[in-house]
Amino acid sequence: MEDKIKRIYVPMTESGFYILFCLRQPQHGYGISQQVKQMTGGELVISPGTMYGTLSKMEKDGLIAFYREEEKRKLYRITELGEEVLNLELHRIERLYKNSKGEFSDE
Amino acid sequence: MNRRKTMVRFFTIADYEEEERWLSARHQSGWKLTRIIPPCFYIFEECEPQHVVYRLDYKNNSEDREYFQLFSDYGWEYFASFAGWLYFRKPASEADTQQDMKIFSDDASRIEMINQILKTRLLPLVIVLFCCLVPSCIQSARETEPLATVLTVIFSIFTLLYAYLSLHCGIKLQKLKDRYHKN
Repeated sequence: MEDKIKRIYVPMTESGFYILFCLRQPQHGYGISQQVKQMTGGELVISPGTMYGTLSKMEKDGLIAFYREEEKRKLYRITELGEEVLNLELHRIERLYKNSKGEFSDE
Repeated sequence: MNRRKTMVRFFTIADYEEEERWLSARHQSGWKLTRIIPPCFYIFEECEPQHVVYRLDYKNNSEDREYFQLFSDYGWEYFASFAGWLYFRKPASEADTQQDMKIFSDDASRIEMINQILKTRLLPLVIVLFCCLVPSCIQSARETEPLATVLTVIFSIFTLLYAYLSLHCGIKLQKLKDRYHKN
């Protein structure tokens, strides 16, 4: 089951990656969107329909979990499985980056 | 009390982009939508002409409190629902970027919405067509009574209408999906 999840999520969409990355700290949907906007200099804006859909799907797949409610907003946080998937993806991006710079390695 | 008017307009499940543009144009000419009465009555109220963006999302009643809170955080006003569709609007002046005027930011989520429409709206339409209308047509065509002839005509009209609608929506939704795929 977990292997299947890992295959589905790696590689990730840019929105998916940032959402999971931001949820290493508890956060709600709109908060994530503001954070991502800041991190990308306003280039990546995750719209509400996409945000809601991604959060629902990640929660269902066990990558993130409900943390608590704050001012009527649901806060989420990454789970252990989510961390594993995020690390796989980070590793993939790192290799991609190194290779693109000509720093080949056999690992 | 502002003046009100009712307009009759029919949009299929594949015409949501046209409906968004039509509602936005009405608002621009000083009429904002207040509610929709099934199957095709749009109730408008007179207002200041303004450039307002309209967006439709298809959730098929799976929306919850969190969903509405999220849209309101992004500055979208929710004002009506109709047969699984949710209606949102936002003044264009409140959007900093082109993306702020949209409710989806990637094509995967647009395609996901179309898949929901196909599964929960088009599929039942096709099932009714093949499991009810077509057999009824055949059944009444076999009878020789005068009443049966009338029924055959009525069933045939409905069958054709259903077939046309299913085909039209199916092709159009598929085209929309292809367009999103290509982006």
